[in-house]
Amino acid sequence: MSRAMCMTWRHSSRLFSCCPLPFTSPLLLAPSHFHYIIPDIIVSHHHSHLLSSFTQNPSSQSSIMESSPPHHQQNESNGTHNISKKSKPMLISESDLRFEFSHHDPSIARINNGSFGSCPASVTAAQHHWQLLFLRQPDHFYFNRLQPAILRSRTLIKDLVNADHVDEISLVDNATTAAAIVLQQIAWAFTEGRFQRGDAVVMLHYAYGAVKKSIHAYVCRAGGQVIEVPLPFPVNSNEEIVDEFRRALMRGKANSGRVRLAVIDHITSMPSVLIPVKELVKICREEGVDQVFVDAAHGIGCTDVDMKEIGADFYTSNLHKWFFCPPSVAFLYCRKTPETSPELHHPVVSHEYGNGLAIESGWIGTRDYSAQLVVSDAIEFTNRFEGGIEGIKKRNHDGVVEMGKMLASAWGTNLGTPQEMCASLIMVGLPVSLGISSDSDAMKLRKHLRENFGVEVPIYYRHPKDGEVNPITGYARISYQVYNTIDDYYKFRDAVNQLVSDGFTCALFPK
Amino acid sequence: MDSDRGENGDSSHNHVSKKPKLSAFISEEEIRQEFSHHQRGIARINNGSFGSCPASIIAAQKEWQLRFLQQPDDFYFNHLRKGLLESRTVVKGLINADSVDEVSLIDNATTAAAIVLQQIGRAFAQGKFQKGDVVVMLHCAFQSVKKSIQAYVTGAGGSVIEVQLPFPLTSKEEIVSEFRKGLEKGKSDGRHVRLAIIDHITSMPCVVVPVEELVKICRQEGVDQVFVDAAHAIGSVPVDVKEIGADFYVSNLHKWFFCPPSVAFLYCRKSPLSSEVHHPVVSHEFGNGLAIESSWIGTRDYSSQLVVPSVLEFVNRFEGGIEGIMMRNHEIVVKMGEMLAKSWGTNLGAPPEMCASMIMVGLPSRLFISSEEDAMRLRSYLRQHHGIEVPLHYQAPSDVEGGPKDKDGLFITVLTIIASLGMQLINLLSSDGVAKCFLWNKELVGSREEQFSMEQCLFSLLMLLRACMVSK
Repeated sequence: MSRAMCMTWRHSSRLFSCCPLPFTSPLLLAPSHFHYIIPDIIVSHHHSHLLSSFTQNPSSQSSIMESSPPHHQQNESNGTHNISKKSKPMLISESDLRFEFSHHDPSIARINNGSFGSCPASVTAAQHHWQLLFLRQPDHFYFNRLQPAILRSRTLIKDLVNADHVDEISLVDNATTAAAIVLQQIAWAFTEGRFQRGDAVVMLHYAYGAVKKSIHAYVCRAGGQVIEVPLPFPVNSNEEIVDEFRRALMRGKANSGRVRLAVIDHITSMPSVLIPVKELVKICREEGVDQVFVDAAHGIGCTDVDMKEIGADFYTSNLHKWFFCPPSVAFLYCRKTPETSPELHHPVVSHEYGNGLAIESGWIGTRDYSAQLVVSDAIEFTNRFEGGIEGIKKRNHDGVVEMGKMLASAWGTNLGTPQEMCASLIMVGLPVSLGISSDSDAMKLRKHLRENFGVEVPIYYRHPKDGEVNPITGYARISYQVYNTIDDYYKFRDAVNQLVSDGFTCALFPK
Repeated sequence: MDSDRGENGDSSHNHVSKKPKLSAFISEEEIRQEFSHHQRGIARINNGSFGSCPASIIAAQKEWQLRFLQQPDDFYFNHLRKGLLESRTVVKGLINADSVDEVSLIDNATTAAAIVLQQIGRAFAQGKFQKGDVVVMLHCAFQSVKKSIQAYVTGAGGSVIEVQLPFPLTSKEEIVSEFRKGLEKGKSDGRHVRLAIIDHITSMPCVVVPVEELVKICRQEGVDQVFVDAAHAIGSVPVDVKEIGADFYVSNLHKWFFCPPSVAFLYCRKSPLSSEVHHPVVSHEFGNGLAIESSWIGTRDYSSQLVVPSVLEFVNRFEGGIEGIMMRNHEIVVKMGEMLAKSWGTNLGAPPEMCASMIMVGLPSRLFISSEEDAMRLRSYLRQHHGIEVPLHYQAPSDVEGGPKDKDGLFITVLTIIASLGMQLINLLSSDGVAKCFLWNKELVGSREEQFSMEQCLFSLLMLLRACMVSK
């Protein structure tokens, strides 16, 4: 570590910047090379582009490219010829890709990347390296390594999301924590009388369960009222969402109340819909909403995430869902404004209290911060794909739409949203004959698919509306990520077909 | 490992007495291997700050991490809660809690402080407490706890009374009498003492506080709630939460109980107010009790919380289990502390019975450490140039006569890690360390008459540390 990497940060007067100890070369944990079997991917010509998009030559079928081993930098010398700056980086080969996700349970068709994400082996190895550094000499790690590494991660994220200043980027465990942080300051504002009893917080009806509880815990307890925006599902256009949102804002402002905060999902969880956040944020500004918090748990690596374009006051996204980081790490963006920004604090108060949320979040007591330190490795991983993360996003989207249509067509059902209202998740209607008639049925069916068919996919129960004839009441939320193959979706298709042909219904589940 | 897990609900002494063979105990070589990931060349005598974790536990943790990565949904639905409940059950047995509901697993003591203090803050906000009602704490409470009090108590209108911990001290009565004074002050002007925060083992300077006695006094004096911050306690001193009798008791398992970073337990005695306590990160389980709330606070790596049963297995490989380890750590640290104090002509900061596995040893006053900054610089210097990791505490000189003469300088904490093998795992000192010592001396103090004797002091510091080590 060079002196240049030793950074002073604002800290209590007791601690000093130190020159790093001259280390013996740190133990680089090379990823152990598991034995893996390259699956027999039977690719019909029709679907060949799904796989060939991984390779450099789009027209060839599953051409195996030679790639550098996962840990080496791109553009490392490869022997004989000179590397000019213009030479293309080596793209990941199929076999390397299989290797990166070889820890995934091979007996499972893993089409639920939305819940817990996924992490390639090379990023896990980088994480282990950091964990080991701490265990080797924790004091040195704490005094000399941790904060510069966190700052590096924050800086990379700032660039990824087009934030103005690295101060605006804090690293936290997950979107749930970010919600607690944003809502805590709302609660204080009520307690301190800056907000009046009855002032409103607006959220989507499909807001994530944990966030809803957080809103109730922090807002209602402090005297605020909560207004839910009902969303249609299935949904056919952005206008439907915008209309409902406007109406909810009106309700909030009725009785001369103020809407103090709008919590807007970028991509709702269940059912999963890509929300027109930019438009909704604009409306919030027009209607005098104090603060806008975008919960984009599924944002980064999934859809376009540009802080200045979206224009929210707060924006959070999990990096372990779609950005290949290990569990768990998320960023919380807090827009710096010339006017006094609300004071946000991490709820776990430690030495750095009062030094700004980003610095506070950088130390909340002794913990394993390693997941926050491998953002550079995750970026490196994405750059091994054609087009980097943008290319991955596009192919994920195309893939999930294609698979969704294939399933809907096979089952005679429909998609829950038009394809432009989804990113890398899509809702696919399940056959009516399955008789999904409650949330509990949906959970049991999900478990049944996992245990008896080796398919991991979340199921959403959609309550039928009055007057609907034979409506689809169950939707599967399928995901598409770089490790998926068409076989995953065939497996799901066939499982459901079998259930249908066996005459299965959820009524058969024991109560 | 899996099959053993279910059997470890027993407390450790029962488990040990069932072992037939003495040779089943862990060998010195095995201990060395378990900590072979510790950096060579460092005298690691600061177990108090960040703890330590043996290789077999790290391996157990990686197994849990891998299981999540392999099939996270299955892990979440079918394994996580069961694993957390097993860990909590082990802890319940270790600390003699009545019910596993009283045991929550959280990241660290800092989080526990936020949990306890947030409910205090809410009570002020909701008018349950009057503005000016008091929270009492020790003046040497851990810095993050102080800030938490600032955020959640002072900010909400409460006032804070700091109890001076006399240091150096010679008996626990000194602490008790200061504490009584603090409580009196808190109750003056008709105020209520709503919460007392008492360290079981203070951090800097490090002293074992007579918590049982202080809790009793709190009850006598009508203090609403008592929160014992025992970050260092488990694996360091015996912990019986019923005997101690506090409302809240937190201890880090990654400091002295061999867990990986990080995991702590927060014990909350069952009471009508139990439902008021919440984890600050609100998730699906909000309202189901702190223990259940804490078991899911969003997607995270919970693996360090899942290896507690494996750690119990680990400590039972030592003679006497965790009690044996605690006893031997204590004996060695006292012996080493006394040895150092004797060599340097200084003294210990507290009598041996007020230490557990950490002890405060005076550094020679001729090092002329005259501020906290000096202490930090000396600490960095020892780390960088002599491979010694040890925290240093600056004790401002008191005017009290009879205070230790040579001790207007510094106290160091000397911490041992493992029972019998503590010192044998340390191995270091560059041969030119002594030369560097002289050089540093010159820089710091310029030419003085005493220069030679200071160098001598430093020299003997280094030589003595070296003498404790078994060279590899």
